[in-house]
Amino acid sequence: MPRTKLIGAALALLLLLPSTSLPAFARKHSKKLPPAPAIQRMDERERAIHALNRLTFGPRPGDVDRVLAMGVDKWIAQQLEPGKIDDSALEARLAPYRTLRMSALEMVENFPPEQVLRAVADGKMPMPKDPQLKAVYTAGVARFNEKQAKKNAKAVENADLLEMNPADDLSQEMKEKRQEAREHARSRALDLMEMAPESRTQNLAAMDADERRGFWRALSQDDRDKLTSDMTPQQKELLLSLENPVAVVNGELMQGKLLRATYSERQLQEVMTDFWFNHFNVFIGKGAERYLVTAYERDVIRPRALGKFSELLLATAESPAMLWYLDNWQSVGPNSQAAGRAKNNGKPSQGLNENYAREVMELHTLGVNGGYTQKDVTELARVLTGWTLEEPRQGGGFVFREPRHEPGDKTVLGRVFHEDGHEDGQREGEAALEMLAHEPATARFISTKLAQRFVSDTPPPALVDAMARTFLESDGDIKAVLRTMLGAPEFWDVKEYRSKVKTPLEFTVSALRATDAELTRTQSVSDALNRMGMPLYGAQPPTGYSMRAESWVNSGALLNRMNFALRLGTGKLAGVKVDAAKLAGNGTNSETQADEVQRTLEQALLAGAVSAQTHETIAKQLSDPLVTGRKLDDPPKPVNQGAVAGLILGSPEFQRR
Amino acid sequence: MGITRRVFMKGGAMSVVGMAAVPGFLARAAMAADAAQPNRRLVVIFQRGAADGLNIVVPHGEAEYYTMRPTIAIPQRDVIDLDGFFGLHPAMSALKPLWDARQLAIVHAAGSPDPTRSHFDAQDFMESGTPGLKSTEDGWLNRALVATGDPQRDAPFRAVALGTSLPRMLSGQAPALAVGNVNDFGVAPRNPQAQPLANTFESMYAASVDAVLHGTAQETFDAVKMLKAADPAKYRPAAGVVYPKGRFGDALKQTAQLVKANLGVQVAFTDIGGWDHHVNEGASEGQLGRLLKEFSGSLAAFWQDLGALAAETVVVTMSEFGRTARENGTRGTDHGHANVMFVMGGAVRGGKVYGRWPGLANEQLYEQRDLALTTDFRQVMAEAVAQQLGNPRPERVFPGFRNPGFLHLLG
Repeated sequence: MPRTKLIGAALALLLLLPSTSLPAFARKHSKKLPPAPAIQRMDERERAIHALNRLTFGPRPGDVDRVLAMGVDKWIAQQLEPGKIDDSALEARLAPYRTLRMSALEMVENFPPEQVLRAVADGKMPMPKDPQLKAVYTAGVARFNEKQAKKNAKAVENADLLEMNPADDLSQEMKEKRQEAREHARSRALDLMEMAPESRTQNLAAMDADERRGFWRALSQDDRDKLTSDMTPQQKELLLSLENPVAVVNGELMQGKLLRATYSERQLQEVMTDFWFNHFNVFIGKGAERYLVTAYERDVIRPRALGKFSELLLATAESPAMLWYLDNWQSVGPNSQAAGRAKNNGKPSQGLNENYAREVMELHTLGVNGGYTQKDVTELARVLTGWTLEEPRQGGGFVFREPRHEPGDKTVLGRVFHEDGHEDGQREGEAALEMLAHEPATARFISTKLAQRFVSDTPPPALVDAMARTFLESDGDIKAVLRTMLGAPEFWDVKEYRSKVKTPLEFTVSALRATDAELTRTQSVSDALNRMGMPLYGAQPPTGYSMRAESWVNSGALLNRMNFALRLGTGKLAGVKVDAAKLAGNGTNSETQADEVQRTLEQALLAGAVSAQTHETIAKQLSDPLVTGRKLDDPPKPVNQGAVAGLILGSPEFQRR
Repeated sequence: MGITRRVFMKGGAMSVVGMAAVPGFLARAAMAADAAQPNRRLVVIFQRGAADGLNIVVPHGEAEYYTMRPTIAIPQRDVIDLDGFFGLHPAMSALKPLWDARQLAIVHAAGSPDPTRSHFDAQDFMESGTPGLKSTEDGWLNRALVATGDPQRDAPFRAVALGTSLPRMLSGQAPALAVGNVNDFGVAPRNPQAQPLANTFESMYAASVDAVLHGTAQETFDAVKMLKAADPAKYRPAAGVVYPKGRFGDALKQTAQLVKANLGVQVAFTDIGGWDHHVNEGASEGQLGRLLKEFSGSLAAFWQDLGALAAETVVVTMSEFGRTARENGTRGTDHGHANVMFVMGGAVRGGKVYGRWPGLANEQLYEQRDLALTTDFRQVMAEAVAQQLGNPRPERVFPGFRNPGFLHLLG
């Protein structure tokens, strides 16, 4: 690398570092700075808790003792080899959700998006023969046609009739009609509730699409829940796919994620999958993305989460999810054959799309100060032309099309990429990505991000240095980098114990794990995450979600956490069951034992990290006669264990890991 | 005085840049103490998805408009004429009275100079206030609050976003509240039996040594108590005001509620999506028309609802970019460049379309496809911020922006 570039890079690095701890050579030449505080190592119990806090989604009851018994280092080594950990219990939980195992193509076929329904409605695609699929398509086409009719119609009055919103402006006649529709639906629902789930499902599926929709809309949410709560996921899937096929795909994806985070024994692998998904972020809300995310996480990210960075990078570059999200599938070389043909046919000119090229350098590899220029972005975009998709809106896969590839030499970061007899266009892109994956700036950027997630919002530079060195020396081996991190004294510095604020995902899942909750339906948890501002797979910009405290510590978020904690503890979170009595020790639960109940719960949920202040505050609440409503000679009332659990889960201590 | 939470957090968060930042912040805060004018407020509304400015404020006096949009142009007979050249989409009749009363101004061919046509990037740039720069961490509206605010004096409801999360525009050091639903703001707010639990949480956080959480929680509980005292359950919109059904109308209704409850709201934000009409946009009627009806109806209701408080309020709308001047092959429009902004307010010199109209001839278009930009959105926002937040230094709000001057649409 030219000397000027080296100095430039060094300067860039200096600008990124806190002034209190510059690398050694800089320190020698700058004025006397205060010495970095000495590292004080955690004791063994703290190490066990810290390892669980940082490397998993939170300790479950008994985890701390298990890790201590095995030995912290041994447990870590085990987590670094997820393939050798038995995860059959989790697999059993995931088994009912078909879409988790489907390819994008299969999903599109089984849960048709609007484009496919339009094609079938227009007769351009055949109706499937399979009876169940046929029912889904018939319903879908009916919905599509209705939507088209709505678009051309002036007003849609009938919709109001069955809407559940209070409509003060409905005429008396319409109000009566709506009331009648509701009563009719109610009585029909009661009949259906008498049936076994299987026959009920068949009965609902056999209804005419419009009739079913009208029926469903006229029901109260309570009745809807009653009709579906005892159905298997497949049955629910069928019903939902008749109304909103895409929702099945999304719903199962989110259910899968929450089940994995909560129950997988391969916790480090799940944490790393979450980390890399966020690093190589795609937004599920961008059109066809909905069908692409499942395979992205399952086939691209998770298998490589603890592998080689360059392989992960290349896999994301070729993934339909990324090609679609950052538009590279549309990018065409301005001087390519395809562009020429389009021009000759008088079609609008197809051109270069720089979106992916820019983000792959700025966000995936080098980092925003990684030393690339706008010219590099354009050149890299030219290199990556031709990387496209077959039928992107119908779940098609990656394909490289040479006619779309920009011909000629391209120069990225000073290196020339050219097509000669040996390198075809695709190889050019692979070579460019390989180069990026091995740049020192990339080693530094990735190490910084890992350290931010696992160590501190402002990680010690010496640690990042060491990790970056390992990255470069190990050819980007993620496991090796993690081992360097986990073997460093900075990771076990007592000042980092419980120092990071949990993100909403970390908070909710750690609460589910700490309470040993039984999750059957995760919708309420997804909803809570939406309210807390971290919808699953819902980070719109390619930067993904921030892992830093200040993004998540705001008033609304804090209230949402407290409310979530209370609802979880007191059993008011639909689809989630917590046995508070068991957590509290299953002992005699009476007011006189309030202190014991409280202590047991504190130990179970926070492994003794409850501060004196929090303990006192809760204790006061439990003994305050105004609170318990107890008058002088009343018999002792049972302690509300769920509420106490909720208070602990909502405490300031539980917000940190 | 002691270090406030915000300074503490800034110290923690800014250690990447260097500890020198802290004293500067304190000094600025001290200087800015006199600048703020608490009885004026600014409401910012983001139309997410790139609204089609050319069909919202229609240049019906421009012949090109009709040749470029054979099926989706708004016919002259349908347009609500404003000044002989421009007119409003017919679905926006609710705003005509405001125009006539000179409380509504329009800036056309306005927006962000950055060439990106990515929704995500463009929204990001418009919210961070530094088009082209991805590394900016906070939002311009938050910086405006920091530049004018005295941290000791921050009321919990000084900056409110109606929605489930804080928008990028309001993220930063100055505290801002994201309120999803005013009626649900609190610990189990609808359950009076949960009050002891709420109190316990409050005591817990008040006693906590965790400075960051302690500070935020304090603001939170103050806000909850303030809101309770304002008794949102009894609130009804002013007589004769009807908000259109939907999330946007709801958000504005709640904004009015918070403003009228005298909670010290100085800045409010909400957004409305659904503008990305690539297919079947519609003309006088259709998708865009329906959305505009909801949009303008909600704004008009909000205005009426505020009553006397409208005089101290300014509302500005923005969208990440406009749409192609020509319609595309699917009776819609694709991502474009310049767009239209609305500025409503007591202080507005309304009844006029501001900005230089670049024209729609092919050579006048941006990249021969979009409406060209003649007014940077930061020019409009800088004036709004200066006028309503008493911010004397707009360059703090939009670093790197060379302001050619205010349009004088306010004051």
